[in-house]
Amino acid sequence: MQKKVLTEQALYHGDVSMPKDWEIDEIDLAHHILHSTFKDTAVLPSRTLDKLNVYIKDFINLKYDIRLIEQKLWGNIYKPQQKSNPLLHVDPVDLKNGPDFILLYGVQVEDCNVRIHYDDNRRKGRSWDMPLTNNKFIMFPSTNMYYITNDQKDSLNFIQSITYEYV
Amino acid sequence: MANFAKISETNEVLNVVHVDDKDTTNGKGVEEEAVGQQFLEKSLNWPAHLWIKTSLNTRAGAHRQGGTPLRGNYAGIGFTWDSVNEIFIAPKPYPSWVLNTTDARWHSPIGDAPKDLTAEEIADGTIYNWNEDAGTWDKTT
Repeated sequence: MQKKVLTEQALYHGDVSMPKDWEIDEIDLAHHILHSTFKDTAVLPSRTLDKLNVYIKDFINLKYDIRLIEQKLWGNIYKPQQKSNPLLHVDPVDLKNGPDFILLYGVQVEDCNVRIHYDDNRRKGRSWDMPLTNNKFIMFPSTNMYYITNDQKDSLNFIQSITYEYV
Repeated sequence: MANFAKISETNEVLNVVHVDDKDTTNGKGVEEEAVGQQFLEKSLNWPAHLWIKTSLNTRAGAHRQGGTPLRGNYAGIGFTWDSVNEIFIAPKPYPSWVLNTTDARWHSPIGDAPKDLTAEEIADGTIYNWNEDAGTWDKTT
C-alpha cells in the first residue's frame, strides 16, 4: 500500500533570526509603513526590508527547497481592537497572475492574531489561529482567506506583508 | 570572477554568488578575500564574516585543473562550512557514512563502490548503489 500527497496547505512560521548586530530594525520598518500609509504609496525599498525579504527567501529555499520571488510588498497599521476585513490576495478569476504565498511579519505588534481559513477536503470552513508577535513571520498559501485581529489596548500594530510566487 | 558562499551563523550555506574581480582586489590590484567580503556586506546586506570564498574548480579536496584546491569543495546551498577544518561539506548522504576531512568527502563504512563493473555492465547502465540497511554496495540496473 502506498500514499501519494498531491497537494498540501502548509504554514511556515518562525522567528527571523538574523546574525548578531544585524537584526531587523523594527523602527525603520515601522517608519516606512507609516510613511507609505500617510502618503498612500507603496512601501519604499529599504535595506531593512531587503534584509527581511532576502532572509525569508534564503531560508525557505534552504529548509524547504522552495525558491520564492517577491511580488508585492506593503505594510499595514492596525488600531486597538481593530479586526481586518477578510483578506485574500488572489483573484479567483485570475489565478494565473496571483501570488503563491502571503507572508506576514510582526514589525511592532501586541496581542495580534491571524486566523487562517482552509478546507480539509469535505470538511470546509476550518480555521487555524496563530499569534503574530514581534520579529515573527507567518507564511501560507495566498488562496487561504485570513483575518487579522488586534486586541492591544493603546498602541498601533505594524505588520509587513509580502506576497511571493515560487519557481 | 570570484565566488563567495553566504553562510548562516550556524554555518549553513545559504547561497553562492559570483563577484567581479575588480570588487575583490585591493588598491594594489591584489585579490583579497576581505575586500570581497566588505563589498558583499555593503552590496548584499549580510555581514562580511559570513561570506566565505569558494572555488568552482575544487571538488573532493582536489583542483580539477591541477591547481591548489580551496576549502575542500565548491560550496552549494545546503552545504556546511566547517570553520575548524576550513572546508565546505556536502549534506551527509547516509547516516552510516563518515566524513574524511582530508578529501572533504563522505565515505561509506566499507569504502567506495567497487570498480569491477564489466564493459558490458557499464553499457547496460549497471551501477553500484549504497544499501544502507545491509551496509553493502549493490549492483542495480
